[in-house]
Amino acid sequence: MGQVLALAVSAVLLAGFYASMAYGLGLIYGVLRVVNLAHGGMIMAAAYLSWVLFTRFSIDPYLAIPIVMVVFFFIGVAMYKGLVRFLPRGAAGGVQSLLLLFGVWLVIRNIAYLLFTGDDQAVRTSYSTASVRIFGNSYSLNRLLVFVISLVAVAVLQLWLSRTYTGKAVRAVTENSDSSTLVGIDVERVYALTFGVGTALAGLAGVLASTLFAFNPSFGSGELLKSFVIIVLGGLGSVVGIAVGALVLAFAEIFAIYVVPSYLTAAVGFVLLVVVLVVRPGGLFGSKVLR
Amino acid sequence: MTTATQSRRVRLPAWASKKVLVGFLVVFALLYSVPLVFPLGDYLHNIVGLTFMFMAAGLAWNWLGGYVGQISFGHAAMFGTGGFVSARLAVTFGLPFWATWLIGGVVAGLYALLWGHPTLRLRGPYFSIATIGVGEATRLVATYWTDFTGGSSGLSLPIGNGPTKFQLYWYGLYLLAAVVVLSYWLRKSRIGLALLAIKEDVEAASDVGVNPSFYQDLVLFLSGTVVGVCGGFYASYQAFIDPLDMFSFERSISFVLIGVIGGIGTILGPAMGAIVFIVIQEFLLANYPQLYLGLYGVLLIVVILFEPLGISGLIMWVGRRFGRRPSPSTAAGGLSSAASAPDRPTAPVGAGGQDEKQGPS
Repeated sequence: MGQVLALAVSAVLLAGFYASMAYGLGLIYGVLRVVNLAHGGMIMAAAYLSWVLFTRFSIDPYLAIPIVMVVFFFIGVAMYKGLVRFLPRGAAGGVQSLLLLFGVWLVIRNIAYLLFTGDDQAVRTSYSTASVRIFGNSYSLNRLLVFVISLVAVAVLQLWLSRTYTGKAVRAVTENSDSSTLVGIDVERVYALTFGVGTALAGLAGVLASTLFAFNPSFGSGELLKSFVIIVLGGLGSVVGIAVGALVLAFAEIFAIYVVPSYLTAAVGFVLLVVVLVVRPGGLFGSKVLR
Repeated sequence: MTTATQSRRVRLPAWASKKVLVGFLVVFALLYSVPLVFPLGDYLHNIVGLTFMFMAAGLAWNWLGGYVGQISFGHAAMFGTGGFVSARLAVTFGLPFWATWLIGGVVAGLYALLWGHPTLRLRGPYFSIATIGVGEATRLVATYWTDFTGGSSGLSLPIGNGPTKFQLYWYGLYLLAAVVVLSYWLRKSRIGLALLAIKEDVEAASDVGVNPSFYQDLVLFLSGTVVGVCGGFYASYQAFIDPLDMFSFERSISFVLIGVIGGIGTILGPAMGAIVFIVIQEFLLANYPQLYLGLYGVLLIVVILFEPLGISGLIMWVGRRFGRRPSPSTAAGGLSSAASAPDRPTAPVGAGGQDEKQGPS
């Protein structure tokens, strides 16, 4: 029983990280109808940036979060203005945006190989192995911090989307970009902004990942897939949906160790995805997402 | 404005027109006899044979990616399945190579159906990301399933069981010829029209009586089978295979690249894409192996931004410059279908030649 509880708490902690990871992908897709296949690559690049800041400049990864997020915001805006802007919108652009951003991902991976080789790296701080006791079980301090930061990030984002003028403009464009133009919203600017914010979130996820996992230039494909599973599970546009999706995935992965050999837990997300699609073709919360 | 003539172009000939048939036979006879009359030298001969295999695999990928518009980033799963099933059959049961290829291909096709039937309900990006998952999961299972795949130490094929690399040239040619015929059939027959309809709009297609589920499953099965046979061919070619190579993400990317560079959705474009791919791989990347991913990425970006139909698009553009449409029996047989590729009218790409192409015709 104690073990089950311990696993459940780890699953909740993991779900926090997953939510921050999926939010960026979901935001960009919701607003631009473009699946950012480079999302995983951005997470990987941010993990390396955090690693460089830590090893070269001894900046603590958690303090590096604002720096990384700002850098990735501008990378995202540049990516939008330089590449994504030229793609056709809507269904016709789906295949093209996919292949284009896939190409971007390959380039990012190659740059990481050239700069850092294919070796595994990890950010090890003085408190990496510190632990905290909750309900009689020990949990890594790192995981708790990651969980709290993810929650804060998602909450701030939600407030921004619901309370500020710009956030409302983003939501208006999500609903209907043509009408948004009519009421005087600069849609192009909103697109660029959204791509920037989504990429900054990938940056955040990358920094958090760098404190949790070892990574190499191939890192990120699993994260992309998991983000996608979460979006399919939970639907777009609502924090609740993302949270539920992240929880379902995290619980499935953590408790899969009872059923399947450990090397297969990486495939759990995919199996879950197929199962959900067979049972509920429209995702857990209706068909809004599958379009 | 060209829609009417285009749709007639698709419908009028039964799927094999006389011109195409003659061109096909001439090219086949040439490729068949050239190495007999003018020996190419071992290296070139073998590489051309391997190119035939990649052409076949690229064309098969294009059935799903181009004809139906479902981009798969996971075709290495079928390539590896086909390769390992045939290798295992050859090693354990000593079956003749052609039987192992066929069985491997069918098993790969069935495996494609197993994951594809549920995931093909997804359209566009969702399907594509799901295929990344398929590829990764399959690779993991294959790497750890040492009894079957030999794990990271791989499998060596028994010596003398299959054809030599020299003979494989002609088997590659047969494979390619069969796949080219299938490509024409899939595009030009009624099935081709159904696939176009599905690519345009799944719901509208099912409203007019096209069963998207059936046709997508059919295409995925055929595509998976052919890629599986290619895997078996590759196993015979290399005489040694290991799961890290056969199931790798890079392998999946190679099929995507061949299709995109050649011209996605065209009939023969991917065959040209395979030539470019092999040339890059053999002559450029042999010297700069650390750049291959990035180079492929840049190629993808450039093609998508500037010429979404790849080489086929370039050839069309050149043809227009000279004021004529190249006949479909030339190497670029996909042109006529490329012009009627379903996403053309609705895809106002901001960059470059797109509008130009629509204009003067």
